[in-house]
Amino acid sequence: MTLVSALGVVLSRSVVHSALFMSGSFLGISGYFVMLNAPALAAFQVLIYVGAVTVVILFGIMFTQKPQVRRYRTIINRQFWAGFLVAAGVGCFLAYVLAAENWGDTKAGNGPREVAAFGRDLLGVSQGAEIFTLLFEVASVLLLVAVVAAIVVSRRKMGQGVDRGVRE
Amino acid sequence: MPGVPVQVQQFIDALVSAPPLEGYLVVGAFLFAIGAWGALIRRNAVVIFMCVELMINGVNLTLVAFADYLPGAGGLGVSYAVLVIAIAAAEIAVGLAIVLAVFRSRRTVNVDEVTSMRG
Amino acid sequence: MQTVGQQLIITAIPALPALVFFVLALFGRLLKESAQYVAILGVTISLVFSAFALLFVAGIVPGGGAPIEFAVNWINLGAGGNFSMGVYIDGLAAVMLVVVSFVSLMIQLYSGAFMEGDKRFAWFYAVLNLFTASMLGLVLAPNFIQLYVFWELVGLCSYLLVGHWFEKPSARDAAMKAFIVTRIGDAALFVGIIIFWATTGSVAFSDISLAAQSGFIGGSLFTTAVILVFVGAVGKSAQFPLHVWLPDAMEGPTPVSALIHAATMVAAGVYLVARTYDIFVQSPTAMLTVAYIGGFTALMAATMALVKRDIKRVIAYSTVSQLGYMMLGLGIGNYTGGIFHLYNHAFFKALLFLCAGSIIYAMNSYNLFEMGGLRRRMPITFWAMVIAGLSLSGIFPFSGFWSKDSIVASAYDEHYYLLFGMALLTVFMTAFYIFRAIFLAFTGEPRTQGAREAGESPGIMTGPMMLLAFLSIVSGWVGIPPGLGIPIPDYFDEFVHPSEFAVSTLNIEEPSFSFVLAAISVVVALLGIGLAYALYVARPELAGTLASRFSWLHKFLDKGWYFDALYGATFVRFAMWLGKATRGFDRNVIGGAVSGVGRGATGTGSLLQRLQSGGVQNYALFILLSVLIIGIVVGAQYAVIVVGLIVLITAAAFAVGTRL
Repeated sequence: MTLVSALGVVLSRSVVHSALFMSGSFLGISGYFVMLNAPALAAFQVLIYVGAVTVVILFGIMFTQKPQVRRYRTIINRQFWAGFLVAAGVGCFLAYVLAAENWGDTKAGNGPREVAAFGRDLLGVSQGAEIFTLLFEVASVLLLVAVVAAIVVSRRKMGQGVDRGVRE
Repeated sequence: MPGVPVQVQQFIDALVSAPPLEGYLVVGAFLFAIGAWGALIRRNAVVIFMCVELMINGVNLTLVAFADYLPGAGGLGVSYAVLVIAIAAAEIAVGLAIVLAVFRSRRTVNVDEVTSMRG
Repeated sequence: MQTVGQQLIITAIPALPALVFFVLALFGRLLKESAQYVAILGVTISLVFSAFALLFVAGIVPGGGAPIEFAVNWINLGAGGNFSMGVYIDGLAAVMLVVVSFVSLMIQLYSGAFMEGDKRFAWFYAVLNLFTASMLGLVLAPNFIQLYVFWELVGLCSYLLVGHWFEKPSARDAAMKAFIVTRIGDAALFVGIIIFWATTGSVAFSDISLAAQSGFIGGSLFTTAVILVFVGAVGKSAQFPLHVWLPDAMEGPTPVSALIHAATMVAAGVYLVARTYDIFVQSPTAMLTVAYIGGFTALMAATMALVKRDIKRVIAYSTVSQLGYMMLGLGIGNYTGGIFHLYNHAFFKALLFLCAGSIIYAMNSYNLFEMGGLRRRMPITFWAMVIAGLSLSGIFPFSGFWSKDSIVASAYDEHYYLLFGMALLTVFMTAFYIFRAIFLAFTGEPRTQGAREAGESPGIMTGPMMLLAFLSIVSGWVGIPPGLGIPIPDYFDEFVHPSEFAVSTLNIEEPSFSFVLAAISVVVALLGIGLAYALYVARPELAGTLASRFSWLHKFLDKGWYFDALYGATFVRFAMWLGKATRGFDRNVIGGAVSGVGRGATGTGSLLQRLQSGGVQNYALFILLSVLIIGIVVGAQYAVIVVGLIVLITAAAFAVGTRL
């Protein structure tokens, strides 16, 4: 489902459809997270991605609205086949390398099943995860900066008219 | 479950048992690839962002898969994945702000038409 | 030369004009017409010092009486590589110093009026002084290398001066011709010097002479080297077969012709032979070569002068002819006679050129057939030219008589009867052509308006002319041979004589003065003058008839025995072809290669430019592709996958290539 949704993102003619396919893909990923013994992460994924990111993207689509297109030519540029070959190459290569590599003794079940363990990991309290204290703080600052930047960049300049939205 | 053939039972066992590590990795790789392909071929800037998100998710998947399957990692890959999500969100915010600004000045989000760096 | 002061005086002789050259070259633009005063000051001081040197060597100044010699070590490369720059003044050099500086002074005075208003007035004086300095340096040289350095400098100055009016293409060509033809001689001279240096380890004249005597240099090699040195002299003195440049060099201003091509530079060749006389006399073959080439040149040039229309060309051929005389004299062993003629010739030939210049200044025309009747209009010029002409023809008691007679007589006495005949015939023709020129220019009626309006030249021009005319009469009187009964001792013979060694090698007896031979040469000359009178004054139409009757001969002589045509068809054509081929190679191959590199870079650049489409996705495509490639390369152990992916990449590259 994840992969099919991803294909849908790429090949859909409508932008809104692409956004919905994207959130479908996110849901699939979140399912994977559950299977990988990281339920808290799955919850995060759904909250942030499916919730916030999708909404933001939809907002973006709304503000930059274009009419629905009929032909693929309008939404796909000239690199279709070249891109396909290169991406397929990268994908196959990565898949093969990752699959063929000997990862040693693997056993499922190492993920932080309990939320408490997950929380302690994330905040840098548990054994061997001390670096995360710093990383957590840095991430917060980064988010702050991103918020400010987003506001600054998308400010309306003096003299610019009201955003009329639709182009024609 | 009683009453079902061995193959079916095996099939069902296979269904519910944990998939091998490589499975997750392959899915992650292909998700990445599809996202890359989309980023290369779509003209709409917002769609390109979406494809970038796909790529990030693919990587996250790989990360978390390793975190779960490799005993020596201590399960920390999950925390990394959280941070990645945070950063991706920040990136989306700023990126969309830029797209909006470009749209305001040029009335287009078609990246083919933003070619000032042609040389 | 004992005191430093005296050494300085001698060094100043060439150094002062050189200094004037630098000053005028740098500040000429500021000085403009005042340049002549600076120059004249320099040359006058040089003249005074030269006179001092002369008196010193002659023994009149206390402490003298012997040749002046001093030198400083210039390059020292060890045994055999020792070159010095120095001074050697004996009688010969002292006389030359005075002659060169005196004639140079006369010319520079004269040029003040002749070159007035010239665009490059100061530069003219600058190069004139450089030339004077070089000639003086050449005369002072005690060894071959110093001589060669100044030899080349003199050639350079000749090129610069002949091409002074370089706006005229004929002047440019003439300058190049002069330089190239003398270059041939210079090359031969240099080879000769190298041979001498290689065999004896020294370049000083005295050393080489001694070495040759002791048999250091083998017989035929020695003769070859000597003849090569003579070829250098042939080039510089415009002897056959390198005589073709001198008539063309008349494209330069007349003062240049007077100085360089009459009195000094062309004399350098004769001087070279005289200076290296001790070496020359050891090779009888070389001596004969010198004599016969000299004699033949004298005759040949005289025939060419018979039919020329351009007054300067007549005088130019006359110079070639007279130089032939000097070579003849030297070759048969009459050292004193040859040098004596050089000394006299300097004065009357310079005077002839100055007269020609005076006519040109007044009339703005070279053509003899446009002149006429100038006798009343330009009396000073007329009489000066007549005096010079008589001196040139060798009429008693003018200066030319004494030296010419010496050479002609010695030819007879030494039993070179063929040369005697050639010399005598040349005397006849010389008298004829110079008086042809004089009669055409000065007698009869003016043939053109320009001739009618001609007036005498200004004093600064006629002054030097008169002075030279005076000298043309009396300069020969210092060399009157004793047998005539005139009580003036033969100063010249005492002063300028070959060395003891040369005398003993040549084994020539000092002949006594022969009235018969003197009378013969005077009579022959008078016959020439008479014929000229007959053809150009009494019956002018006869000249025209003769010219058309013997038109083939006339043409042959007029075209200089077709030497120019011959050289042009062979050497010049070949050289031009070689030049064009080289230019083509340079332009197409080398130039093409260079610009090809440029075009290649530009082409590659424009090809690569298409990669920069400005599209971010395009760039991203390349990035991903590169990542793939790197991955393949790094993970090369997965051979199967590699093969498969190489196919994929190739396909992608094709797709990229065509899509883009």
